[in-house]
Amino acid sequence: MAQPYPTHTHPHHADHHHGEPLIRFNHATFSYSHGPALEDITLEIADGEFIGVIGPNGSGKTTLLRAILGLMPPSKGSLQIFDCACQELRCHHRARIGYLPQKRFVDPYFPITVREAVLMGRSGAIGLWRWPGATDREIARQALEDVGMASFEDHPLGALSGGQQQRIFIARALAQHPQILLLDEPTTGIDTPTQHNVLDLIRRLHHELHLTIVLVSHDINLIAPLAERLALLKTRLYALGTAKEVLTKETLAQVYGPQIQTTDTGHVIVADHHHP
Amino acid sequence: MADFLTLGFLQRALVAAALTGGLCSAIGVFVVLRGLAFIGAGTAHAAFAGVALAYLIGAPVMPLAVAFGLSTAWITGLLEERGRMKLDVSIGIFYTATMALAILFIGLMKTYNAEVYGYLFGSILSVTSEELMLTAGLAVLVVGSIVLFSKEFFFLAFDQEMAEASGVPARRFFFLLLTLVALTIVVSLKTVGAILVFALLLIPAATAYQLTSSLHRMMQYSVGIGTLVSVIGVLLSFQFDLPSGPAIVLLATGVFFLAVAFSPKRAPKPALS
Repeated sequence: MAQPYPTHTHPHHADHHHGEPLIRFNHATFSYSHGPALEDITLEIADGEFIGVIGPNGSGKTTLLRAILGLMPPSKGSLQIFDCACQELRCHHRARIGYLPQKRFVDPYFPITVREAVLMGRSGAIGLWRWPGATDREIARQALEDVGMASFEDHPLGALSGGQQQRIFIARALAQHPQILLLDEPTTGIDTPTQHNVLDLIRRLHHELHLTIVLVSHDINLIAPLAERLALLKTRLYALGTAKEVLTKETLAQVYGPQIQTTDTGHVIVADHHHP
Repeated sequence: MADFLTLGFLQRALVAAALTGGLCSAIGVFVVLRGLAFIGAGTAHAAFAGVALAYLIGAPVMPLAVAFGLSTAWITGLLEERGRMKLDVSIGIFYTATMALAILFIGLMKTYNAEVYGYLFGSILSVTSEELMLTAGLAVLVVGSIVLFSKEFFFLAFDQEMAEASGVPARRFFFLLLTLVALTIVVSLKTVGAILVFALLLIPAATAYQLTSSLHRMMQYSVGIGTLVSVIGVLLSFQFDLPSGPAIVLLATGVFFLAVAFSPKRAPKPALS
């Protein structure tokens, strides 16, 4: 059985201040067979920080998350996570990184209950040769409570709406008791009121559980008020800083080209932007 | 009916049916959920080619069947992983190539060998005590692995990429799963045959899929259905003098259609809010 944690207390809960860097990109380049997806990235993300990653389609946002998960080693430079080179990231390290991938189709008839789906998040923490025990079930139940879905424990996952499924997948990531939470377009494909509910939930989790959050989004207006720092990507890291520092007309025009406009209220409008 | 249950060969056949039915339907859950159905079909035909080669050169059957079955499962698994070619195309090539090898090996034999055809169509009523022991041994190995690593296999079946990202060595478990599928198929060759083993891998699991919205209950239902239809199929084949393999598979197919007709998943549900 996994190491028990006291109920209602996240293991990484602490006073809300930023600690040492947990993630260190040092001139790191990540390439696919057709060429580099990210080039010469230097970026440090501190323990407890909330960083938003923005950029046009194909700018390398998802690659950045896959790199932090240790699924993609750098072809040049280095990436350190928890003081460990990402190539040497072991399963127990990955278990400390919660990941919400881009929303994908869940077969409505796939036989899985909400409880079973959330308990899967415990797999890495439990380790091999062991089965989930009472403590793991309690952690999964608590994660469901954290996302406001405790009453859905016995429901089939496929019967839930898109927004509810997204909450369940956040609960699955939380059940890992992660130190870092990676979120890839968490609001895509769900209606506007639910988008705000999900973002409120993420904000609350950041403050209450002191999670280090890296949130990727194509929606600049949604992410800007939420994140402490923004990273603007287009294969290279074009800008890094507060929303005010990054979202300048000049920088945005440089990255997005003429398709971007900024209103007097600071609202950013990206024209002809197609995103899944 | 009680009298003929004392017959030694029928007792062995019933135990073999229960073992292979339970085994195929347990591993079949992951075959159905992970979408490995055609890897199962390709592996079965490759294992049969191994059997034919063993008879041709006078070698022991099981090691060659395992070698052919495993190598096919692993190569198709690698091709799926690398995504260089559509999986149905690569398996289609293996499927026909290994079947062609089997026919070639049979053609090279100087005399007609009925035992080889027993592995193609199954001959559960002629299972020997030694074969039963081997089946039981491999059943313990495969079921033990499934029980031990059920949480990893279920995660893999639901979302392999997420399993990897969550700290499960998903790739290793994918190849372990392929290995267990290949071993299950080889064990079942004698009882249900290379052609029909594919059905026993799929039908009980697909039937259970219709009946529940829980992964663990799907496993329980699948094993229950697979074991029952195999045992009842053997009894029917003995009672009415039918070939045992088709009796088992057609009975399972009938149960599958009943499950589809009465599936609670097909009933209209109010949307959850």
